Amino acid sequence: MIGTIARKEFIEIVRDGRFRWVAAIVVLLLLTALLAGQQRYAAYTATQQAAQGTSNAQWLGQGDKNPHSAAHYGNYAFKPLGPLGFFDGGIVAYAGTTIFMEAHKQNFAIARPAADTSAIARFGELSGASILQLLLPLLVILLGFTAFAGERESGTLRQVLSMGTAPSRLLWGKALGLAAAVLVVVLPCLLIGALLLATTGLQTVGGGLGTRVALLALAYGLYGAIFLFLTLAVSARASSPRTALMVLVGFWAFSAFLMPKIAGEISKVAHPSPAYGTFMTQMREHQRRGFDGVSANAKLGRYQAEMYRKYGVDRVEDLPFYWTAVRMQKLEELDQPVFDQHYDAVRDAYAAQERVQNRLGVLAPTLALRSVSTGLAGTSLLEHAKFQDDAETFREEMVAKMNGYLAQAATDLNGVNSATNYMIANADVFAMVPPYRYEPPSLAASIAAQVPNLVLLAVWSLVALGFAWFAVVKLQPEARR
Amino acid sequence: MLQALELTRTFGDHTALQGLNLRVERGDIYCLLGANGAGKTTTINLFLNFVRPTSGSARVNGIDVVEQPLETKRHLAYIPEHVMLYGNLTGLENLRYFARLGGHNEYSAADLQGFLDRVGLQRDAASQRVRTYSKGMRQKVGVAIALAKRAGALLLDEPTSGLDPKASNEFSELLLQLKAEGAAILMATHDLFRAKETGTRIGIMKQGRLVQELSTDEVSHADLERIYLEHMH
Ligand SMILES: Nc1ncnc2c1ncn2[C@@H]1O[C@H](COP(=O)(O)OP(=O)(O)OP(=O)(O)O)[C@@H](O)[C@H]1O
Ligand SMILES: [Mg+2]
Repeated sequence: MIGTIARKEFIEIVRDGRFRWVAAIVVLLLLTALLAGQQRYAAYTATQQAAQGTSNAQWLGQGDKNPHSAAHYGNYAFKPLGPLGFFDGGIVAYAGTTIFMEAHKQNFAIARPAADTSAIARFGELSGASILQLLLPLLVILLGFTAFAGERESGTLRQVLSMGTAPSRLLWGKALGLAAAVLVVVLPCLLIGALLLATTGLQTVGGGLGTRVALLALAYGLYGAIFLFLTLAVSARASSPRTALMVLVGFWAFSAFLMPKIAGEISKVAHPSPAYGTFMTQMREHQRRGFDGVSANAKLGRYQAEMYRKYGVDRVEDLPFYWTAVRMQKLEELDQPVFDQHYDAVRDAYAAQERVQNRLGVLAPTLALRSVSTGLAGTSLLEHAKFQDDAETFREEMVAKMNGYLAQAATDLNGVNSATNYMIANADVFAMVPPYRYEPPSLAASIAAQVPNLVLLAVWSLVALGFAWFAVVKLQPEARR
Repeated sequence: MLQALELTRTFGDHTALQGLNLRVERGDIYCLLGANGAGKTTTINLFLNFVRPTSGSARVNGIDVVEQPLETKRHLAYIPEHVMLYGNLTGLENLRYFARLGGHNEYSAADLQGFLDRVGLQRDAASQRVRTYSKGMRQKVGVAIALAKRAGALLLDEPTSGLDPKASNEFSELLLQLKAEGAAILMATHDLFRAKETGTRIGIMKQGRLVQELSTDEVSHADLERIYLEHMH
């Protein structure tokens, strides 16, 4: 019985003139978006890999010089993207893709594609994910708003209800038929997307590609189900198809269009992140004062005295290491807590903003889906934070290795251990620093971060199903007067 | 088979049906006559549970239609005044769909075509989309849908509206066959002549009340017309 209803529903939808137009537009936009995403991803990855290679080679080939100067010369970290980045660009366009790693300073990620004026960057909005998030619900609504309201208006609902069909069967039949019509439009596009994914080379950034794809399918499926059941519920309740369409398009505009645009603004008001200039001023000031209110100079003086005591000397020349290098390393370590505190505060602000946006998902399911989508595609705040962490770890190691080498190598240079000793190192020394490597967060971490959003999507679909159930049980052949 | 007990329905302060008592047994063709707005359609809607009674009850096979709406509908077939079908499906597809909704999955394409033949739908029309049908053609498919349901009781609301005289005549023949097979038929109509010819009993309604009941074999056609018109004054 459910199969019969589903089949009739499907045939009716696809035979309707509406279907051809709506399907054509959705297919066109979705394919364009997926292709654009693939191009963008390929161009991005090629640039990232080439730039990282160049930067690593420049580090080794920077020319013979003092190891501490080499640490000043530094290296760049270029953020790699997982293969699903082609489907969902997430925050990549806004978050910065490059970090300069140098002595004495922790830097922000720079080079935001969104600030770039190239065509690739302008396409940033057009991704498979953003088109699906926007158009999947619209497709469901446009094909489904007449499901009950149209039958009521045309009068067929009288005859259907006179047959003694259980309302639950009508609901499931119509839901399946509508879902089939939607999938006929969307699935072929997504299969083409999967093919594109295969051609991108399937870099193993992030791992668990199969699981990620499966969970993405689940999340988008739930999202579609939410709008599907809401559409059937409203169609069953509305006095006319036109009313149903107006209500549904209104909710769509709110959830898929308006909220994604304003949720970010709301979250920034709730948890402001500092402006760049303010941030830098405050961090420098804090650095000058010292993380605990005792200046770095005072602490260095104490440290020097401690070293003198430890080695029973009273001149730097008599220390068993090159004091200048040890002192610079000590300074790094004194600055570290200040850097950490300030950068963590920024990160906490972003995380708090993200939480606010996720909570707004209670009102607009699109927000919950958006988080799940970027989270599983590996283009979320989680990956960006890890990218920054890895760059910072690399920076600390690079500086420590260069200072550490210098501390030993510049001892007793020319027979003395003077603060003015200046040693020159070559590529063999620079090679002590292994090339920069980004280890993306694990699949488990990505999933764990998205569990609340996935639960929210599941709750939304159950609520929508409940609405539909309630509406269909009370189904009347005539509009209430 | 069909039974109304003190069946009453009001819309706001307007009483559409007042204390209707009525029985339609197997082999009965009960014709409801009455002016526009007399309450005929309301009576049929009450049996279908499309309208809730304000008081009293409607029963099918002794079962209250409000208490068990799905069960009672299994025994009912319904032809509305305006049969409405799915325009993008063919006549045959419409018939198959409604037959299956009514629980009849067993019909072959030939069986379904048989129903359409029986109601006199042209052969080539069966495979055309219903959008292209005339009112009478849709009405015929509606009759076929009712036949395919093989229900014990039929609720017919001016079923021949829009049928040409030949088709109307054939429909009357069909009713007589169904009556012979033991169906209980309740039909709202304005056609006094056919009510007398095919009906077994006649009920005349006026402003929501059943004002007179008579058997068709008790009266001549002229008597019926006179009685009806007397009530209408
Ligand atoms: N849903 C409704 N809301 C308000 N009033 C209604 C409703 N349905 C019917 N009525 C009123 O109840 C009365 C009986 O209507 P009904 O449709 O039963 O008449 P009828 O005998 O079938 O007339 P006709 O011969 O024109 O088909 C009318 O006065 C009508 O206006
Ligand atoms: Mg009527």
